[in-house]
Amino acid sequence: MAEKHAITVTVNGRLYRAEVEPRRTLADFLREDLNLVGTHLGCEHGVCGNCTVLVDGKSTRSCLMFAVQADGREVLTVEGLAPNGDLHPLQRAFWEHHALQCGFCTPAMLLTAYEYLTTRPDAGTDEEIREAISGVLCRCTGYQNIVTAIRAAAKQMAPSP
Amino acid sequence: MKPVAFDYYRPTSVEEVHALLASHGGGGKILAGGQSLVPLLNMRLARPAAIIDINRVAALEYLHANGDGLVLGALTRQQSLLENRAVAERYPLLVEAVRYIGHRQIRNWGTVGGSLAHADPAAELPVTMVALDAEITASSARGARAIPAREFFLDTLTTALEPDELLASVRLPALSPGTGWSFLEVSRRHGDFALVAVAALVTRDEAGVCTDARLVLGGVGPVPQVVEVRDLLIGQQPTPDAIAAAADVAGAVIEPASDVHATAEYRRHVARVLARRALTTAVERAGGRR
Amino acid sequence: MAEVATKRPRWIGKSMPRVEDLRFLRGKGRYIDDLKLPNMAHAAILRSPYAHARIVRIDTSAAERLPGVYKVVTGKDVAERMNPLPTFAVGPIYQHLLAVDKVRYAGEAVAAVVAENRYIAEDACDLIEVEYEPLPPVVDPFEAMEPGAPLVHEALGSNIAYSRTFTFGDVEGDFANADHVVSARLRWPRSSAMPMETNGAIGDYDEGTGTLTIYANSMNFTYFQWLIATSLKIPASKLKVVPINAGGSFGSKFFMHKVPTMAGFLSMVAGRPVKYVEDRIDHILNNDHCGSDRYYDVSLAFDNDGTLRSLKIDCVDDYGAYLQFGTGTHGNALAQVVGPYRIQSVQYKLTAVLTNKNQQGAYRGFGSEVNNWVLERMVDLAARKLGMDRAEIRRKNFIRPEQFPYKIPTGNIYDSGNYEGVLDKALKLVDYEYWVGERERARQEGRYLGIGIVTAQERSVFSSTEFWFWFDQPSFPVTSSPESATITIDPTGKFVVTLHSLAFWGNSPETVVTQVVAEEFDVDPSDIVVTYADSQHALPGTGPGGSRFTVMVTGALVGASARLKEKIKKIAAHELEVSPDDLEFSEGKVRVKGSPDRALTLDQIALKAYMFRLDLPEDIESGLEASYTYDHPYTTLPSADRKDLGVFYPFVGHACHIAVVEVDPETGQFTYHKYAAVHDCGTVVNPMTLHGHITGGAVQGLGTALFEEYVYDESGQMLTASFMDYLVPTAMDVPRFDIDHQETPSPYTPYGIKGGGEGGRMMSPGAITAALEDALEPFGVRITELPITPSKIVGWIQQARGGQA
Repeated sequence: MAEKHAITVTVNGRLYRAEVEPRRTLADFLREDLNLVGTHLGCEHGVCGNCTVLVDGKSTRSCLMFAVQADGREVLTVEGLAPNGDLHPLQRAFWEHHALQCGFCTPAMLLTAYEYLTTRPDAGTDEEIREAISGVLCRCTGYQNIVTAIRAAAKQMAPSP
Repeated sequence: MKPVAFDYYRPTSVEEVHALLASHGGGGKILAGGQSLVPLLNMRLARPAAIIDINRVAALEYLHANGDGLVLGALTRQQSLLENRAVAERYPLLVEAVRYIGHRQIRNWGTVGGSLAHADPAAELPVTMVALDAEITASSARGARAIPAREFFLDTLTTALEPDELLASVRLPALSPGTGWSFLEVSRRHGDFALVAVAALVTRDEAGVCTDARLVLGGVGPVPQVVEVRDLLIGQQPTPDAIAAAADVAGAVIEPASDVHATAEYRRHVARVLARRALTTAVERAGGRR
Repeated sequence: MAEVATKRPRWIGKSMPRVEDLRFLRGKGRYIDDLKLPNMAHAAILRSPYAHARIVRIDTSAAERLPGVYKVVTGKDVAERMNPLPTFAVGPIYQHLLAVDKVRYAGEAVAAVVAENRYIAEDACDLIEVEYEPLPPVVDPFEAMEPGAPLVHEALGSNIAYSRTFTFGDVEGDFANADHVVSARLRWPRSSAMPMETNGAIGDYDEGTGTLTIYANSMNFTYFQWLIATSLKIPASKLKVVPINAGGSFGSKFFMHKVPTMAGFLSMVAGRPVKYVEDRIDHILNNDHCGSDRYYDVSLAFDNDGTLRSLKIDCVDDYGAYLQFGTGTHGNALAQVVGPYRIQSVQYKLTAVLTNKNQQGAYRGFGSEVNNWVLERMVDLAARKLGMDRAEIRRKNFIRPEQFPYKIPTGNIYDSGNYEGVLDKALKLVDYEYWVGERERARQEGRYLGIGIVTAQERSVFSSTEFWFWFDQPSFPVTSSPESATITIDPTGKFVVTLHSLAFWGNSPETVVTQVVAEEFDVDPSDIVVTYADSQHALPGTGPGGSRFTVMVTGALVGASARLKEKIKKIAAHELEVSPDDLEFSEGKVRVKGSPDRALTLDQIALKAYMFRLDLPEDIESGLEASYTYDHPYTTLPSADRKDLGVFYPFVGHACHIAVVEVDPETGQFTYHKYAAVHDCGTVVNPMTLHGHITGGAVQGLGTALFEEYVYDESGQMLTASFMDYLVPTAMDVPRFDIDHQETPSPYTPYGIKGGGEGGRMMSPGAITAALEDALEPFGVRITELPITPSKIVGWIQQARGGQA
């Protein structure tokens, strides 16, 4: 077995120190070592995007990054989207617009949409929203309500005039 | 689906990378964006003894102007090509091509150097770099050498890099004024590798006469396929007939393969169609001033 | 149910946001892979690289020596300690948890490793040496039927597992008398439900009590729990299956037998909890339920005026190496084989063939979505032959509203419908006249615009006869498919409702329960909590499948509510000194009709019921709880000669989908101009969630029609065994849907509900096929196979042009 590496990672604002085998994926580190199981593994080969988290603010397939690579970086998972059991406007919009069925892709969709709305606060066109979420596969919804929810969340998040 | 164990190195300088590559004698694999390598590791289709993670080599992540051209460090993220003004102004072809690369999550980490070194025949960046006549710098403890992009790709997933060499940077020469561009691709789903990809560049003088033309295809052979169309286009107004003739050459010279997603006949047919469309768009964008 | 019908529903029919969602939105879904038990180990499976091979020798010693490995097992252990896996197959078609003696498909499980973590388990799999003697594989079902073909199961003596022709009505007479006959060979290839979460289970064997607990994301564990126990050779009373929320199923987790059995067995042999969750490649190669894989020869007889008369279907279905679900997927097709049309007679020949591939099972539609596609293809052919508008030929043949309940030739009953109403809504929604004009204009401009129309059935609420009416002497002619509910009002007056099968796979069981119970008792939805019983505490249940759950659980809830209301009224009547008949439930209270001030709140009654025994009438037991097991409300047995299959799927919804597309004939790519869907599945409980089923199902159907396929090469290797090649559609690959409803209640179900869970997948493959064919009409292209890829479209156009590009 390869030598373990000491890492320091900030996850959802909290600093974690750990020793990891180099081959341990960031997804497994979050799920198994930190028990942040809201990040879901759908394919482990970088297609389904269900394991998407934000690393230094960038949407990232956590099955395609090793935990050791996250050393010194900041990770945001679905558990960190809203504090104290509140709902982030995106979470609320997903609820109100029935943008989830089984919920398995939902954390990845939320984080992908979160990154998208930071670069496109007005949510852009439907086509742009669809392009933005095209890296996360959803098998339940047919995507339509997800697009609707992201647009609705953008309105909620816009600073009042 | 978990990778086999490997040793992990995280150099912070190019020199350290060189030393690690040299000491592992081919058993060390460079990890850049990881978007192609890690799936292979997870599926245990790649089992390198050592992973050399270059993500902390700051000296490899840059985007410099070079006269009217550009130099891209190997670690330039694909997404950053979509957000960079100099790239948009000087190489709109590159922007058009990068839009076809996967999805945001892939482009956020995927790098220019990684895509080129991986050398997937259906990937967008190899085709584009060949079309742009880019020059790749390979460096090692032994020194650095420049390799023209069109000589860099040797076979499917095989490049001219030696085992101890790092793909360090890519130099894009300036495009002549009056150059139009187009990148087109057909894939099964949005974001998939290309069934056929085409990059076209056409330069016209003030009279609208074609002075240069480049056509490169992806997904239709083991390496990006340069189609020689200059004889058919240079020195005349690039008329629809001339373009169609050039596109027919594209269809004739390639030797595509069949797979579960498309037949060889389809790829040949679509190569001709996309070549015609890309050349047409490039001609229009080049500005038919007369 | 009379009481319900006279009141205007307050909660039924409301687009209530789902009560399930809050946990999933926060990443607290507690899926199977999220659960951890103390001392838990992890399993990985070594799978066969060959489609057909004899296992000569397995050496596990190097794997066993690897630090962190607890146990390695092979088919030898399984043969010694287990029975074969459960199956509906007739004849010697035995399937073992790990292959015994030979492997029958690439990806079949050969050995299993239990280790400290999944990484080490996979390392150990690499160290297992297996010597195979490759056998010639049989991959093509027609070759499999040839004499002398290699046998998948030698003991069966043939690869034909089943073959029989059923005739319903005067087929030969109707064909002889019809003005026209059109025929086609049609091909529906194998795809799979492919939920984002794979199958998983944790086994936890308690050596002290001899009880095995299996946590699993399996849908209908209560129905099949005793079969799993039989496989594991333990008493059913000592097997506790605990249902875990599933991240999607679409049929694929309906009767999950391999994974729970694996986790249970490994826990028993390793002496500690063991988790086994398929990775994606495990799932693609080995999941329990691939979809139908069919070859059709079909003929449709009809008259000059467009009257459809008779249908002949000859189907070869490539089942793969095992027959877990028997041929039930064709029973499903027979439930609605004539679609919404007054076709008078049907001949149905089925040949079920075994090949060296993974098995088939359930995928949203359960085989009837295939029949919908086939029938709608044939109706389009008839319309073309007659030069009739494709909407009008359908309209002409619809069963009329006054003809319900309507018995179709196979014997099944359609309960109610207004098909013309649905068609008219859909034509209006899509603006049919406009697009017909646009199509003409486009064709004049050399563009290829096409319109596809499908009017098809969604039968709902299966009864179990479809699994065995195939045989004159079935081995297990089951007739039950019950669902249960328990309603408890706690001492503070709040509701806890217990379900008895794992109903959550992404549908809305808890929301349905909440809406129905709120309706029944007129209480606030926030006062209702829903929970799931494990198999040791569960009443009979069958789980969500065949679009049955909403109807069946509502029946159970209505029954349990009636029992509980009776008790509450007795207590309240005693307290208020009135007759129970004078009481009504309103806004969380029980009050005297006509004197709303004379009332008791539910919490007052509940506290009384739990804590003040001596205040109650003598015949009242303490507590406030009632259960009800609801059986299928309308099933009849098949006739002995099988010329009438009886009533087995009588709550029949209907839908019309219309797609408008434009094809680029040079690349074979296309764009959507419009996609409209109108569904009628009786009384709608929650329009918002029903929309979700329609859009999600339609997208799955488009996946089947355009992207997804299990492709095997001639050696039986699967060429699409990862998400890089098995193409699940992304948000960019699917249209926006315009959706509307019509409500024609069922006369046989509580509230008039019909099932809608299979939603759009029943219709969208037909609609997109027809639209693309219509777009390519100027070339004369006929589409007879799926998936429809750009490569095929260009090939068809070239073929139609006589090889000219």
